[in-house]
Amino acid sequence: MRINLLIPAFLIFLLVVVLADFGFFDGARMLRGLRNLGILTSEMMPPDVGVLPVAGKALWETVQMSFAGTLLGFLASLPLSVLGTRHLFSPIISRTTRFVAAAIRTIPVLLWAIIFVILVGLGPLAGTLGIGAYTVGYLAKIYADLFEGTDPEVIEAVQSTGASNLHLVRFVFLPEGANAILTQLLFMLEYNVRASSILGFVGAGGIGFVMQVYLQTLEYRRLATVLLLILVVVLTMDALSAWMRKRFLLSAQ
Amino acid sequence: MSAITGVEPALRAEAVSFAYNDEEWVLKDVSLTLPRGKLTMLMGPSGSGKTTLLKVLAGIVKPQRGRVVVLNHAIERQNHRKLSPLIGYIPQQLGLVRNLTAMENVLMGALGRCGNGKALLGIFPRHEIEQAQAALDLMGIGHKATETVFRMSGGERQRVAIARTLLQRPQVVLADEFVSDLDLALASEILGRMRRAAAQEQITFLMSMHRVGLRDFGDHILQLYRGQVALGSTNSLQAESTTESHS
Repeated sequence: MRINLLIPAFLIFLLVVVLADFGFFDGARMLRGLRNLGILTSEMMPPDVGVLPVAGKALWETVQMSFAGTLLGFLASLPLSVLGTRHLFSPIISRTTRFVAAAIRTIPVLLWAIIFVILVGLGPLAGTLGIGAYTVGYLAKIYADLFEGTDPEVIEAVQSTGASNLHLVRFVFLPEGANAILTQLLFMLEYNVRASSILGFVGAGGIGFVMQVYLQTLEYRRLATVLLLILVVVLTMDALSAWMRKRFLLSAQ
Repeated sequence: MSAITGVEPALRAEAVSFAYNDEEWVLKDVSLTLPRGKLTMLMGPSGSGKTTLLKVLAGIVKPQRGRVVVLNHAIERQNHRKLSPLIGYIPQQLGLVRNLTAMENVLMGALGRCGNGKALLGIFPRHEIEQAQAALDLMGIGHKATETVFRMSGGERQRVAIARTLLQRPQVVLADEFVSDLDLALASEILGRMRRAAAQEQITFLMSMHRVGLRDFGDHILQLYRGQVALGSTNSLQAESTTESHS
């Protein structure tokens, strides 16, 4: 009981220390921030809808990038996750694969985008490849863990029919994991739509570039339009994936 | 020991001992023989080592001591593919893939005969599909071939699991407690079907079971107690004389 209280109390203490260090309890500063919020909001109103054609086009590119990057990463993650499954391959292979996936995952998507801008030049291709890379690192681990969590009885039963490892993947791992595979894919797509909206900051294509220009030129009314557009796209994505879950996920799981 | 004179055993375990860790033997010096084309019941209280014994006999886990011989082949753990024409295994929870249909699950019994080519696309030879359908028909659920397994009842799933093993066509089938969750009437019906299959196809069945009421379905009974065979072949002689009338 005492330990149960001690840990949260300690965490809250740490939080207060860190926030104080960063100036959170500097009343004048926070008040200034509040006043600035009011100014910023008023300068954003009303949103300048004149930029809709430009912003819409850039946003469409962002959606394309996240779609292509997510699917590319998904396709690459499947063989990698199979290699990372300890039931199927020797520890050397599965550990190496998992290490590679972890290394890919360590690099944030923005950094991947910069790397690909250096490699393939400015534009949406760099962004797409960056999203794909991050997606591979993430999904390969999730899927490898998922495959390893498959009911061992099912694996034993199907193995005793003389099934090969590839048969196991096709007839046990993929169908047994289908729900989680789709769920994670949709999650990744939602995440990538949000994450890719800033990739334009580093020249990797999409709405980010437009956003950056409006930020630097202090055209907040135009920026407001862009933010609202992104909001619409994210909400649409959420609705779409909710619909897909309802439509495709097997109910009795 | 339960050797029956004049019948070549389908499976023979010789002084098998097994432990999951160093502390305690789960199986101690178990020797047994399974007469060919017969249904043997493996009785024993829970924790007596029935599941482990079946896994050892199926080649899923390797015993520290002793060996298992199936129709003159010493089984080795690694070689699932070579074992599949010899031994079929039905685990307690059946080991079905719930998101696939009954037909797809049954066709998995043919995977040992399929390469990595078309089967991976889900394409099976016509004769395998026909035999899978025949196995489902034999189990009385031919009309449910396209039903997804998770939508099926417990009894239907048992039949799918048996049909999968029938399509595999192994010489020996090892089934773990798998009618235990069913009511008596259904369990009797399924055991009756297995018994007929045993007689018709000369398949040897070993089924673990803790329910005493069903023991009479066996031609032959093995009693396992604390990892040792306590009693073998109680009604084997009777089974010898009555097998003909059952088949």
